[in-house]
Amino acid sequence: MAAAVADSAVKTAVKRKRQENGDTGKKRRKSGSGGDGDDDDLKTHIQKLEAEIQESRKHYNNIATLAELAQKHDENPKAAIAASEALCRIFIRLLAAGNLVKRKDASERDATVTSWLRDRLADYRKALLAMFRSKKVAFDALMLAMALLKAEAQHLGDRQDAVFPRYFFSDIVATLIESPVDQLREHFSENFIDQYDDIRFYTFEALKTYLTDREHSVDEDTRSVVFEMLISMEDVPESNDDLEDFYIEPPQKKKHPLRSLSQHKKQAQEAWLALFHLGLSKEQRKKVLEAMATSIAPWFTQPELLMDFLTDCYNSGGSISLLALSGVFYLIQERNLDYPEFFTKLYSLLDADILHSKHRSRFFRLLDTFLGSSHLPAVMVASFIKRLARLALNAPPSAIVVIVPWFYNLFKKHPLTTFMMHRVPRTKEEKELIESEGVEDPFLPDEKDPMETHAIDSCLWEIVQLQSHYHPNVATIAKIISEQFTKQAYSLEDFLDHSYGSLLEAEMSKEVKKPPVVEYMIPKKIFTKAAPDSEEKDSLLVSLWDFGSS
Amino acid sequence: MAGSQLKRLKASLRDQGIIGPQQSKKQKRKTAEELKAKPDKRLQRGEALASIREQFNPFQFKTNARGPKFDVTTNKPAGDKAAMGIKGRPGVAKAVGEQRRRETLLLEMQRRNKVGGLIDRRFGEDDPNLSLEDKMIERYTREQQRNHKKSSMFDLEEGDEPMGGLTHMGRPLFDDDDDDEAHPKDDFDEEDLPSGDESDSSRAERRRLKRQRLEEAAEDQQEEDGQPERKKTKKEIYEEIIAKSKAHKFERQAAKDEDNELREELDTAMPELQALLFQRQPPPAKDGKDTREPVIIAGKDKAALDKDYDIRVKQLAADTRAQPAERTKTEEEQAEEEATRLKELEEKRLRRMRGETIEEDEEDEEEEERRGKGKKKKADAEEQPANPFDDEEEDEFGLGKGVPGKGTKYRPTATELGFDDEDDFLIDDDLVASGSELELDSDDMEDEESDDEDAGSESGSDDDEFVKGILTEAVTKDAVFHLADKAKGSDENGIPYTFPCPQTHEEMLKAFERLDVTKLPVAVQRIRALYHPKLDSKNKERLGKFSQVLVQHVAYMGDRFEPHWFPTLENLCRHIHSLAKSFPIEVAKAYRAHIQEIEEQRPLGLTVGDLLVLTAIGTTFPTSDHFHQVVTPAMLAIGRFLGQKIPQRLSDYATGTYLAILALQYQQFSKRYVPELMNFCLNTLCSLAHEKPLEKLGFFPVHEPAAGVQIKGASKTAVRQLNCADCQQQPLSPAAESSLKVAIISTTVAILKAAAETWHKLSAFHETFLPALLVLQHLNSPPNSAHLPPSLAAKLADAASTLARHLQLARLARRPLELHHHKPLAIRTYVPKFEDSFDPNKHYDPDRERAELAKLKAEHKRERKGALRELRKDAAFMQRENLRVKKQRDEAYEKKYKRLVAEIQGEEGRAANEYAREKEARKRKAARGR
Repeated sequence: MAAAVADSAVKTAVKRKRQENGDTGKKRRKSGSGGDGDDDDLKTHIQKLEAEIQESRKHYNNIATLAELAQKHDENPKAAIAASEALCRIFIRLLAAGNLVKRKDASERDATVTSWLRDRLADYRKALLAMFRSKKVAFDALMLAMALLKAEAQHLGDRQDAVFPRYFFSDIVATLIESPVDQLREHFSENFIDQYDDIRFYTFEALKTYLTDREHSVDEDTRSVVFEMLISMEDVPESNDDLEDFYIEPPQKKKHPLRSLSQHKKQAQEAWLALFHLGLSKEQRKKVLEAMATSIAPWFTQPELLMDFLTDCYNSGGSISLLALSGVFYLIQERNLDYPEFFTKLYSLLDADILHSKHRSRFFRLLDTFLGSSHLPAVMVASFIKRLARLALNAPPSAIVVIVPWFYNLFKKHPLTTFMMHRVPRTKEEKELIESEGVEDPFLPDEKDPMETHAIDSCLWEIVQLQSHYHPNVATIAKIISEQFTKQAYSLEDFLDHSYGSLLEAEMSKEVKKPPVVEYMIPKKIFTKAAPDSEEKDSLLVSLWDFGSS
Repeated sequence: MAGSQLKRLKASLRDQGIIGPQQSKKQKRKTAEELKAKPDKRLQRGEALASIREQFNPFQFKTNARGPKFDVTTNKPAGDKAAMGIKGRPGVAKAVGEQRRRETLLLEMQRRNKVGGLIDRRFGEDDPNLSLEDKMIERYTREQQRNHKKSSMFDLEEGDEPMGGLTHMGRPLFDDDDDDEAHPKDDFDEEDLPSGDESDSSRAERRRLKRQRLEEAAEDQQEEDGQPERKKTKKEIYEEIIAKSKAHKFERQAAKDEDNELREELDTAMPELQALLFQRQPPPAKDGKDTREPVIIAGKDKAALDKDYDIRVKQLAADTRAQPAERTKTEEEQAEEEATRLKELEEKRLRRMRGETIEEDEEDEEEEERRGKGKKKKADAEEQPANPFDDEEEDEFGLGKGVPGKGTKYRPTATELGFDDEDDFLIDDDLVASGSELELDSDDMEDEESDDEDAGSESGSDDDEFVKGILTEAVTKDAVFHLADKAKGSDENGIPYTFPCPQTHEEMLKAFERLDVTKLPVAVQRIRALYHPKLDSKNKERLGKFSQVLVQHVAYMGDRFEPHWFPTLENLCRHIHSLAKSFPIEVAKAYRAHIQEIEEQRPLGLTVGDLLVLTAIGTTFPTSDHFHQVVTPAMLAIGRFLGQKIPQRLSDYATGTYLAILALQYQQFSKRYVPELMNFCLNTLCSLAHEKPLEKLGFFPVHEPAAGVQIKGASKTAVRQLNCADCQQQPLSPAAESSLKVAIISTTVAILKAAAETWHKLSAFHETFLPALLVLQHLNSPPNSAHLPPSLAAKLADAASTLARHLQLARLARRPLELHHHKPLAIRTYVPKFEDSFDPNKHYDPDRERAELAKLKAEHKRERKGALRELRKDAAFMQRENLRVKKQRDEAYEKKYKRLVAEIQGEEGRAANEYAREKEARKRKAARGR
């Protein structure tokens, strides 16, 4: 039965090849050129060789001929493919017949034949792997290799159970990584890794060994290739029961590592760690961080191992910190990670660039979650509010639009902080002092600890200033803090993800239906200076800019 | 009132004076006489009796079971029936119901299952009270009345015909002229027929006669006067009346004649009058025609004449000149008016700035008043478009998917406010006779135009030099305008007098191809005059498009600018501005299209043309408005550049500096804060400084400056102003580069200073400008200032000190925020706690709908019950009636039966008697025989 399965795999490979080459083949046949005859000859030759091998052991030498043909894939890819297909069939049959298994009771001659056949099999494998490098034959070679892998797993071992041929597979993976054909890897991960749990399992293992073996010789490209492969494996199975798709007949034992999710995770974790161990470029790091919570951290049985990586990233500042935040949050949330001085660190993230960053919305979503608890100290919340208000003075409108409703929600949640909007001097003396001296802002902008900034004693003058922002919508939104707090909360999602472009588009998408107001006075001067003796004053523009009329 | 029922009855009868002590015969006679003289006394008696009867029948009223209520418990006036506890009169009600049923239901019952029938509509046929004779009399009078058309035969006021119309051969009976001798003439009739062709002699004769008669009458009078007052006979009275009425009639007739004459006179003089009205010298050729007009009129058929006349009347009615013009105002009045108008406009601007909504209705009313009736149509058109942002209102801040303006109601434009008159380029509407096409050909049109412009120059009190230009030109070029359509002349500058009105930018480029740029404004003026909307209905559209093209052209010219073009560009911008007053939508659309183009193609790479367009927007539209369809996007575009552009070259810095100036100028009036401006200016200064600041100077994001941007060794460079050429990317010599850097720094410092002046009242001024001060200080610190020219360093120091002063002031002026002195919100109450004049019978449901529903339900219930009761009563009535009919029938049957039985019995009895008698006789016979 196993042989039949292998046969069908070969057939699909052949069919696939035919589909691919069908058109060209037909055309050639039509043109009826001389080369066609060669091809046909070769094919019949190969078929003949194959048939002979099947007939008797005498013709086993044909295998060597075929292997030779298969190795010449650079010169004649078609012939090579045909030959390797034939070889595949031959070897699968041989494997099924047990001709390749060393038996103790076998005669010396048989043993010689077996070892010779084994050598040829090794040659054939090499030939197949070599084909991975050529774009034309790589896909077929991959299919054949996988079919062979399956047959080997089932028949090469002398035991009842199938044994996964790890070495061959790790060779396949290694060649895949080194192969210049990108689509091949995609094809592999689509058709094998995503489909079969055991393939994924062994891929992780193979990747890990690949990386650890060549620790020093791995260059940037391979690293990124491995990275891509790893990141594409994102569907983390949820329990042992989910592991049911196997390429090769699974072992019967319940305890076998293939059947255990934790073993799978362990492999994945090790593969990732091996990659991290090699170090990542900045871009890769960003990518890793972006995918961290969704497709990397879930693979880890000991996410603590990620902690160092994440904390390093988090501490490094800039956009990497922002991105690491979600990973850290994942650890805190899922793994009960205790991050010391988390809020201090979070507070330090609120720097001049945060409101201009393109990860702003992402950050605010997280920030909303972090400060969502009503059990946080009001002093700290006030620090966050005040710091963001300061930043809002230099922020683009799309950021202000988010901040103010968020403040509103915080004010609702932490009523103590509302003193920042409304502070009536308590005593007469205090009032007089304010009248005579004005008020110094007690907020300490350079203080690192959000508990020590005295923000709660300050006022939100910044937001009041933004109530006269040039953009009418921003100004209107800023006004919500001086109106009565009748609304329960604002939904932050309504305000996230705006930009200059979207604001402008919103304005421009409205058709002008009513005539706009026109300035009733036509100015006397726009670009030219007013006559020196006239009473008219130059506009700011004219006085600061040279329009060539002095 | 004690005593038995009987006693009480007696007492009340006595009270009413119905019974009394016995009267003597004399007394009785007297009362009888009195009764005869006053029949109503009897009626009174009847009434009194009825009331007594009522009073004594306890079942006549339905009363409260527990007697009348106390006064305190009811608010109904005392003495009222309800107050007395009487709730109804069942007896009367029953009787009425019965009566009504008998009239309706019974009839229906009787007519049931019967088809057809006769309804007798003869008068009085149903009235049993009328005797036959009365009926006949009544019918006769009715018939007479119907036949008698004329209400009165002797009604002199009515109709000319004295008697029943024409009888004698179709002529009036007393045709006075022809048959003077033939017919006896009525004395009074002499003045009666006032026909125009009556000969004067006969009239004089008649007058003489009349005078005679009057004199006689007067003599009579005198005679009579001598005697004691003699009572006039009826005849005399009538004669007098007749005479008087005839005199009145005559007077009226005479007046009518006079009117007719006058009208005819007017009719004949009409053409001349009209010519006068239109103040036009009729062309000489037409003069001859005019003299011959009566002939022609006589020759024309009547229909054409009527039509002509109708047309004239319509024209006259439509002619604005037919309406009284307003009084010419004195200079003071004009100045005052102007001042109030400006004040109003300013107030409106402030309201718009605060984002308050202006009640449109009120606005409209005001406009209506100002505009008068002539422009109502326009007002209607303006009312049509609904608030463009109404539909977005449901999104609270209008951010939604795409962040639109919230609470920014549309506000009326200047044109709406009635200021098109202020637009001085426009030729005064009223001066064009809109209805003069009738006798105007194209030449006349041009005459008109030049006339108009003449008039315009007289009335144009404005000092706008544009106006002067166009007007003087128009005055001097009368002839030009005459020729305009035919000859393509050009003036001494080589500017053609006529242009096609360009509808696309390509057309415009083609049209102005050979024109010097500085001559453009003249060409634009001419186009605007040539295609004035009053001259052709299509011109409005054309000029609208033209204004859009102008906007494009400004951008186009800006991209290829030459320094000496700026006066021209300024002029063009002002032209656009003035066109925007008439075509606000078109111009706004053009500007918005340009902004859109910027956004889509080069959000961060603005060209000089874009800069100029943004400048033009700032002058054309009020930048202080809370929301404006054009200014808000423009401001956003500026903000986007300032906020997002990371300057790579010096030209980027220059462009940004220009935009920063522009942004600040936009906010000069409303003083709104522009964060991007601060960011950009501070960033620019930091980048251009020779050394980077050691520590962070503020919360503004700092971009790493591109290589070679830092200023170096420019201490010898003169400080100059930036110009538009600096915004263009071009290779510069090191000297020019450092000069440009110095210029950028100096301008930026000036901007910061101006910004501090503008925004010094903002509440977070301290936080906003402290970084600026730090940056200035950093720039002026020794390692940096060594690379700057000393004059710039002085400027920096000056700006820094100004800033420091402002900061100090801001610190002193700062107060803790007290934003929430709101009235505490009341909890919503639904049911009022207390109700004045509470009535327990009423339902005080605050939910209007529910209350109405309850009311309806109650009504329905009541009606239903009433209907059921009525139906039940109907059924009872019908049963009763049926029973009665049956009883009647049975009775009749019984009667008949009895009669028959009696008859038979009688017959039988007789027969029996006969038999008995016979038997007896026989017996006797037998006995005798025996």
